[in-house]
Amino acid sequence: MLLRAIVTSVLRLGLGYGVALVGGVLLGVGLARSRALKELAGPLVLGLSAVPSICWLPLAILWFGLSELAIQVVVILGAVLPIAVATESAVAQVPPQLVRAARTMGARGPRLLYGVILPAAFPGILSGAKLGWTFALRSLMAGELLFVSGGLGQLLETGRDLGDTALVLGVVVLIVALGRLSDVLLFRRFELEVSRRWGTEAAS
Amino acid sequence: MSVFANTLDRAPLGAEVPSAPPLRPAGRQPTGRAGASASLEGVSFSFASDRVAIETTSLHVEAGEFVCLVGPSGSGKSTILNLLAGLLAPSAGRVLEDGAPIAGPSPARAVVFQDAALFPWLTLQQNVEYPLALQGVPKAERAARSAELLRTVHLLRFAASYPHQLSGGMRQRGAIARALATDPKVLLMDEPFAALDAQTREILQGEVERLFLETRKTIVFVTHNVREAVRLADRVVLMGTRPGRVLREVPIALERPRRTGDASDARVHAYAAELAAGIRDEVEKIAKEEADDAWVAPGGGVRVDPRRNLGSGI
Repeated sequence: MLLRAIVTSVLRLGLGYGVALVGGVLLGVGLARSRALKELAGPLVLGLSAVPSICWLPLAILWFGLSELAIQVVVILGAVLPIAVATESAVAQVPPQLVRAARTMGARGPRLLYGVILPAAFPGILSGAKLGWTFALRSLMAGELLFVSGGLGQLLETGRDLGDTALVLGVVVLIVALGRLSDVLLFRRFELEVSRRWGTEAAS
Repeated sequence: MSVFANTLDRAPLGAEVPSAPPLRPAGRQPTGRAGASASLEGVSFSFASDRVAIETTSLHVEAGEFVCLVGPSGSGKSTILNLLAGLLAPSAGRVLEDGAPIAGPSPARAVVFQDAALFPWLTLQQNVEYPLALQGVPKAERAARSAELLRTVHLLRFAASYPHQLSGGMRQRGAIARALATDPKVLLMDEPFAALDAQTREILQGEVERLFLETRKTIVFVTHNVREAVRLADRVVLMGTRPGRVLREVPIALERPRRTGDASDARVHAYAAELAAGIRDEVEKIAKEEADDAWVAPGGGVRVDPRRNLGSGI
């Protein structure tokens, strides 16, 4: 039961976070590079990112029913906005001199974006991605607590129903371990690489 | 010395001088394409804020000529460089390269920026190869070319270093190597040595002159340092401010290669003094505007605050 709960949660997290990462980076780059999109969606993104993602659960259940999709919507909405906001500011803060230098060497359009702007913004995008991960994890746990669907969150709820403090605390420790492990597996490598290239101090 | 003088007498400034072996160290062929001419014809440029950066300015740089633009900040030196680079489009007038209008940035006109602007996520070698990769040069050829360029600027040993591991002078040499990678016809340098210490600056000035003599590329070099301009240029263009415009052009008739501290130093000094005098009025004009009523003419003796606020100068 424990193993199945872990697998269920991790799979959900992986899928939802993956979608959120791609969507968030695209949205963030779009916001930073397109004035029209910025004016259209900028205030909306900022406003919505203040909404705790669990607030989307009632709406998700109304629209998608008690399905996997409903819980994914909560995870994705929880992670996508912080990633988009961080990406936007990272892209906006790319030193203009680097872009100018690349243009004098003949870089334009997509090659300028992929070859210069995104690499230059990578440290900022990485911290946005990391932030998004913790948001996704929190959203998932909240969603699973409120919504009977398997996973670690539901296991917490089961522990409460049975008055089993050991189970509840055990699951909490498990969540901590999951967060720590994912940090090492997913982000550590990139952070070390960034600090090696940029000459910045690596966060522990 | 007389050899150089003769060469300069025979050839118009900046023209291709194939018959001038002394200009190129023995055994070295001129590397790559020689310079192209560049000019501004009645160019004005205003920023969106309506601040006029330069007003109806004309400037012609011969192919293979080394021109320094000197002036106080706000005189539009960098604007002219950005116009020549194609990074800015003129509000009025025409910007030309070899007689053809400049439509936008091109690898044929490379720029060296004050802060080097090397990409921090790439090694020095990858930085130098970047413009070549943009042009689709095959990998093996890129590696050979970047090694050659890094040897030219004495940085081959640091090919695998990231920019943050290099000193300011090394970064600037790396930026020069990167600018030369695409074999440009015109090299535009925007106060490249302004942030360096005096010793490094002198060494790099020597290297730029050596590169100029070896490659005969057209160089437009922006600086606010009058001595640097005299040290490097065939011709110094003195810029004025508010609005930016060309005040005066001074040809520097000193033989190359030039050295600091040798017999020509007195003449360098004379040129520098002449240019500095030309620039002083402009600098004072700005200082007055910026300082407003706190301005006191130099040599005026006692510093008086017209508002008589005690201690306002502290």
